[in-house]
Amino acid sequence: MSITILQSGVQMTLQGAPRIGTRHLGVPASGPADPLSMALANRLVGNASDATAFEITFGGAGLCFNTPVSFALTGAPASLTLNGEPIKSHVTYAAHEGDELQIAPATQGCRIYVAVAAVLEARRFLGATSTYIPAALGGHKGRALKANDQISMAFVRLVPTQTTPDDLQPVCSNSYTLRALEGPDFSLVSADVWDEIYTATQRASRMGVELTGTFPEVGPDANRPSSAIWPGALQLPPGGRGFLLLADAQTTGGYPHILQVARADLHLLGQMRPGDRVRFLRRTHEQASEALRAKQALLSTWLPDFAL
Amino acid sequence: MSHPNITFCGDDALRIEAPDQSTRLARARQLQDSGEWIEVVPGRRDITVQFDLQTDTPQSAQNRLSLAVSKPLLSEAHSMQEVRLPVHFGGESGPDLGGIAHSLDLSESDLIAQLTAKPLDVDMLGFTPGFAYMSGLSEELEIPRLSQPRQQVPAGSIGLISGQCGLYALAGPGGWPLIGRTDVSLFEPSADNPFRLQPGMQVQLVDADAS
Repeated sequence: MSITILQSGVQMTLQGAPRIGTRHLGVPASGPADPLSMALANRLVGNASDATAFEITFGGAGLCFNTPVSFALTGAPASLTLNGEPIKSHVTYAAHEGDELQIAPATQGCRIYVAVAAVLEARRFLGATSTYIPAALGGHKGRALKANDQISMAFVRLVPTQTTPDDLQPVCSNSYTLRALEGPDFSLVSADVWDEIYTATQRASRMGVELTGTFPEVGPDANRPSSAIWPGALQLPPGGRGFLLLADAQTTGGYPHILQVARADLHLLGQMRPGDRVRFLRRTHEQASEALRAKQALLSTWLPDFAL
Repeated sequence: MSHPNITFCGDDALRIEAPDQSTRLARARQLQDSGEWIEVVPGRRDITVQFDLQTDTPQSAQNRLSLAVSKPLLSEAHSMQEVRLPVHFGGESGPDLGGIAHSLDLSESDLIAQLTAKPLDVDMLGFTPGFAYMSGLSEELEIPRLSQPRQQVPAGSIGLISGQCGLYALAGPGGWPLIGRTDVSLFEPSADNPFRLQPGMQVQLVDADAS
């Protein structure tokens, strides 16, 4: 019982739960860049929110189901076909043996998730199956998937068809307003940072997204002794560009940490693509905390086991 | 209630200053052992903790950390653990050793003698999985990072920059000039604690090729 990768697109990996409590070992969280979309895909096939699933960057990928199994797609919008017939995201489908799923390039957003009603075979490291490519941890042999890879499945199921409620289907956009707080090195920048519009560059990966726009120039002497950093941090390396950290971000760093995206909005970072616009919306601690509770409450009836 | 040494880092993390190494590591261990924090990450001069914003409020987390750091530290019962690491210096194992020695006006053997003169302290793990930052070298050795990081550094490689050695537990990208490599496995993926080196340990580098 397996799935064969036909085309892997720009990057396809297996992601599951993030690694928690491992940053003091230098081990990043990993896990889905957009955990909400992965949870929604898993929900449609009756899996736990953080069950191992496929994360596909920019689409342009194909899978062949070698055994009958239910599956669902979420995340960045793209044309989808099963054996040439159009299908939709946010709906459960049943694949027959030999069915081919084709995912066209994403028209907006960045990452597409495919969940299957089965347990995908993946390496486990420190309790999680998520792939971390730089150190070859987790996933399928610790690496990105490529054409002809076979991913074994266990506990394969066919489940009833479900659809994500309309109001819970995230909308991808080319412009993001991210709630954020001052980072520990905020004093290096001026309040203008809240009024600027930044643009994501081509330098975008699971480690982070580079932003251009008006940042103050800081030299190497602005570097700090290494301190903890984590997803959602906006760092300011020398050179006048920002770097917004994602799921695979290194655990410590010395570049100034000027802003921190609020936890409530972290999942949005996984859908930012080159050219997208970003504004940061200043929030107090109380407001950020309240925003998290409000968004969590909205999701909790449909995704009872998911935490932002 | 004021918290003089505690600052917020975003909405769900707090930082305390702790410049002294032994105090920092003992405090980090106390915070880890309490089980009250999602992450406890020592830096080179501070400790950052992450809390669960779903169950904590910023105020309650701040109060809890303030209370925790007001407690006296347990004296370190166990003695400092020392690990001996045989290292192949220079050559293919340490392609930058010669260049560094040359830039410092030292012979390779003089530089090796400095590196092996006394044990180094493991300050923290970070950057990439298991990468150990070690201090205890003369800060006068001025050694910059590589201008172009290497895409792939072999596991066990030892890097050197001003005042610090770095040990690559796993193969991966790296920007520190490389002076040598150890054959000792620093990574056991199936162990509870997969990384051999821990903050607070001392590492004695030994020239594996010395006759």
